[in-house]
Amino acid sequence: MEESRGDNSLMLKVHNLFVSYGHIKALKGIDLEVRKNEIVVLIGANGAGKTTVLETILGINIPDSGDIIFNGKSIRGVSADKNVRNGICLVPEGRGVFASMSVLDNLLLGAHHNMHNVKEHLNRVYDWFPILKIRKNQVARTLSGGERQMLAIGRALMASPDLILVDEPSIGLAPIIVNEIFDILINLNREGYTILLSEQNANKALKAAHRGYVLETGKLVLEGTSGKLLNDKRVREAYLGV
Amino acid sequence: MEVFIAQIINGLSLGSIYVLLVTGFNLLLIVAMIIHFSYPQVVVFSMYIAWMVMKFTNNSIILAIAAAVGSAIILNLISAPLFQKVMKKREGVDINTTMVLSLGIGMIITDILSHGFNEGLPIAFPENIVGDKSVIEIGLISVSNGQIYTLVVGIIAVSGLFWLLYRTRPGRAFRAIAEDPNGAKLVGLPLFKTALASYAVTGVLGGVTAILLAVLLGTTSPGMGEQVANKVLAVSIIAGLGNLTGGLIVGLLLGILEAVVQGYISGSWANAIAFVVMLVVILFKPKGLFGMKL
Repeated sequence: MEESRGDNSLMLKVHNLFVSYGHIKALKGIDLEVRKNEIVVLIGANGAGKTTVLETILGINIPDSGDIIFNGKSIRGVSADKNVRNGICLVPEGRGVFASMSVLDNLLLGAHHNMHNVKEHLNRVYDWFPILKIRKNQVARTLSGGERQMLAIGRALMASPDLILVDEPSIGLAPIIVNEIFDILINLNREGYTILLSEQNANKALKAAHRGYVLETGKLVLEGTSGKLLNDKRVREAYLGV
Repeated sequence: MEVFIAQIINGLSLGSIYVLLVTGFNLLLIVAMIIHFSYPQVVVFSMYIAWMVMKFTNNSIILAIAAAVGSAIILNLISAPLFQKVMKKREGVDINTTMVLSLGIGMIITDILSHGFNEGLPIAFPENIVGDKSVIEIGLISVSNGQIYTLVVGIIAVSGLFWLLYRTRPGRAFRAIAEDPNGAKLVGLPLFKTALASYAVTGVLGGVTAILLAVLLGTTSPGMGEQVANKVLAVSIIAGLGNLTGGLIVGLLLGILEAVVQGYISGSWANAIAFVVMLVVILFKPKGLFGMKL
């Protein structure tokens, strides 16, 4: 937990966002902001709507109403492939790597829209994750959970995004690997990547993030700096088990 | 023994045709997510276009090839928005609807061919494109130049497709969508655009197949597409729907099996053999010999 540094202009603004799947109202008026060089975390239990928030920002769902502003422009209704091209990347829940494809192919998929300088991007990802270089010709199926998470993050980096959305990176990983993944996210942030993260693991996530929002059944119930949320009675009771 | 070898050779060239057809069919199945049952009818239609073009151009083979490939690509690209739109309207992938749609397209094609060309009679290709010259002859074994062309071009076309799949950027996107369409969307692959590319690629394959059929058989008829379509579907099911490698093996084996049946039993039984095999296979391996890739 630290103060955001450098340029902290507004990068993403979600305004009064409503999303539904058929008759089910998944998001009921979400307002959130991400500033440049921040790590912001969205905390919530299963089914609170975290994935829906991230996927709607990416352009997978079309909102019923509300707006999403990215770098000053509305991206409401813009398709995911355009958003990826314009600098938003998602590291999906459960990694979403292509198990039958090689590590290298998975990484190159991340650069689908951005094939110039691909060597340079690849080398940068290998610098972040040397294990991926060692395993580059292996199929992704053979990787451990932590390695898959690194591959999913590496794949997002291949698109040289401005904003990385990371959906529940800790899910299904051993605690020691979770620490490693959060360290990586913190380091990426220090290098200038802006990150919007969703997590159930509130303790770890809040310690890594600058600010957070608490999401309950499609509504934000609480927001503030990580320090404030870590000390909040309701957060401590509901998400930290203290 | 000589009959056997001769029939194996016949089977390999026939099998190359099945391989090309089933590869196109499977590619559309896994990337565009449609069952294009009538894809072989598109191929037969392209044979007719090639025939027409030869008629008007003093039997130009080059223009016939261009016409067949062009017609297959255009037909595929025209039908693409139709398929994709129906899927979108029905909220996502509905593979059964696409099969019915494709059946309809096939019937229209067959009808056009039986009314619009040569009064519905079978057409014969000019001599210069038909490969019926025997180039190797040892006793009963005879290999025609058409058979050699079919096998060689078949191998080149399939290798080309696999090169595209495993060595190029669109091929990578094809494989990603084939493995996990939702995951592909989440990493920002354009699903519709990539599907369109697969329609174009199968168009090229279809045009090449049309020319090879002209070279190998020298003739075609309005009903041929449907007959072949049934077989291509059977091959895909036997191998495992959407399984490209499986389709290669089963397509080639079916060609050989049919030729052997033709050599030893009777030509009229050869058409049934694919379906006998299919029934036996799905009884014991419902997902096909090599597994479905859907």
